[in-house]
Amino acid sequence: MSGIIAIIKKELARFFFDRRMLVTTLIMPGLLIYVVYTLMGTLISDIAGGDARYSAAVKNMPEVLTAYFSGSPFDISDASESDDAYKTRIVEGSLDIFVLFPEDFEDAVASAGEPGYEAPNVEIYYSSSSDDSAAAFAAFSAVLDLYEKAISNVFNVNHGDGYDLGTPQSSAAYILSAIVPMIMLVLLFSGCMAVAPESIAGEKERGTLATMLVTPVKRSHIAIGKIVSLSCIALLSGICSFIGLILSLPNLMKGVFNGIDLSMFGLGHYMMMLGVMLSTVLLLIAAISCVSAMAKSVKEATTYVGPLSVVVVVVGLLSSLLGRGVSQWLCLIPVYNSAITMTGIMSLSVTPLGFILTIVSNVVYAGLLVFLLTRMFKSEKIMFDK
Amino acid sequence: MQEILKVCDLKKQFRLSYRQQKLQRTNDRMLTAVDGLSFTANRGEIFGLLGPNGAGKTTTLRMLATLIAPDSGDAYIDGCSVVKQPDKVRSKIGFLTGELRLEDFFTPNYLFDFFSELYGVPSDVRDGRKNALFSRFGIDKFAEVKLANLSTGMKQKVSLVISVVNDPEFIIFDEPTNGLDVLTAKTVTDFLLELKAQGKTIILSTHIFSLVEKICDRVGIIINGRLVALDTVAEITKEKGLEDVFFDIYARVAGGEA
Repeated sequence: MSGIIAIIKKELARFFFDRRMLVTTLIMPGLLIYVVYTLMGTLISDIAGGDARYSAAVKNMPEVLTAYFSGSPFDISDASESDDAYKTRIVEGSLDIFVLFPEDFEDAVASAGEPGYEAPNVEIYYSSSSDDSAAAFAAFSAVLDLYEKAISNVFNVNHGDGYDLGTPQSSAAYILSAIVPMIMLVLLFSGCMAVAPESIAGEKERGTLATMLVTPVKRSHIAIGKIVSLSCIALLSGICSFIGLILSLPNLMKGVFNGIDLSMFGLGHYMMMLGVMLSTVLLLIAAISCVSAMAKSVKEATTYVGPLSVVVVVVGLLSSLLGRGVSQWLCLIPVYNSAITMTGIMSLSVTPLGFILTIVSNVVYAGLLVFLLTRMFKSEKIMFDK
Repeated sequence: MQEILKVCDLKKQFRLSYRQQKLQRTNDRMLTAVDGLSFTANRGEIFGLLGPNGAGKTTTLRMLATLIAPDSGDAYIDGCSVVKQPDKVRSKIGFLTGELRLEDFFTPNYLFDFFSELYGVPSDVRDGRKNALFSRFGIDKFAEVKLANLSTGMKQKVSLVISVVNDPEFIIFDEPTNGLDVLTAKTVTDFLLELKAQGKTIILSTHIFSLVEKICDRVGIIINGRLVALDTVAEITKEKGLEDVFFDIYARVAGGEA
């Protein structure tokens, strides 16, 4: 037992006293996710409209339309100068749109449907080479469309509120269940990849593993010590990434769904998430360690683990597409079980049996892989064959 | 004299890859590295295994250190079988070879403590041992410097100290002075003599005749995996120097290729 503790302490010291590894494995992924997603959210929000305001010069503004523009993103000014002056301003960029209503617009519209009716033409001058001008044109046209629909109303669909029975929380859960499992699987895997090949294949390559093999510590204790400590580090990396992801999601979603409400997740959900993450890193670390033990160098180990990373990404993608409503016994399939259980937790539909099956099966698989790693440490062909 | 090591008909073969077969111009799939080796070593002596490169010295020592298992035969160190009780053997021995390295990231102080823990050395015993060994080799001034920043000689001294962290009665040194400058090599040979003076048994492999003549009590000459001569250094060098004796034996056994 003291051998296991000594190896755990050594592995943790190797990681935590190495500032470079600490920053690249622990801090950077979470921080990068937060920054990138926040930036993406801000960009999406800007594109979707956000707080931008547009300048519009309007000639002959009908009285009836004033109400439609209250609360719109337009600063409307009454156009009293010549038309060409406003067009020049649009080209120069100091004005977004110039709108010209026919003088008898209201009367003309009122006679709609009568024989010989000719629809009046509203002229909106804009510049498609300017983003703001083009957006202002689209927004102004949208308001006019709304007015047109209102005066020629034949029937409505879902007029007013109260038709969407989903709560903001359940909508958020649905979105999170599609995003979080896939991203977390990939992040957990990359956290494991950052530490396991270096610790197993790296030590083998440098000859430091053989130095440990010549001590009386049992091979199984070396395997357990390595896997436990590497899992702790990978889990920490996963937690940091998860925090970065969860904190960035409201920012990412603000342009699309006016932000996201995470209040439906209680401590229990987060603890379950932690449990799935822990069992997943145990399994991934054990699997990557076994593959790394086969390799003669870190480079070779990274190459060997390549196909496994493809499996993890594909399974992550599949779970968000096919993960809902599947049989609980699929929770016995490694990696896929983590993805569907995380989907279940995020969509608030996880079942106790599915959760327990996932945790227990992952721990059992990790145990079997520890046994395999022990056998590999005992094999002179694997450990000492040049 | 009390026997501490008994090697009984030790054999080890390695499978040759197709590339190795081509390199060695042979059709044999197996290479016999050690071929029925038997000898004993007595407590408190320095026993030298002398032979050319590829003779099977390192393979023999690796089997004694339980890093690899013999195909047949056995060896007993202080009564423990390297085949049946490898964990017990490992707790009784110290092993130093160029193949075994220490992690560059750590300091000598940390590594000494780490390996002491792996050997189950109590902390008070460990501290006393560490102080004595560190000051003996001048490591104390560099105790908190990462190994990566130490000179090659100092790194070798740290490896030497770590190899006896458990104060073993039986110590295996594979080519202990290989690649060292004369000063560090002398530090190593002096230390071997000190260990002998403390009553420890040392088995070392080398192809350096002067090292055997200088420090070994008995020597076994090993060629092509077989022990071709075994006696005290005094007896073997009674008529002529060890180098001449070795070449005579080599010419007789290997057909005068030397």
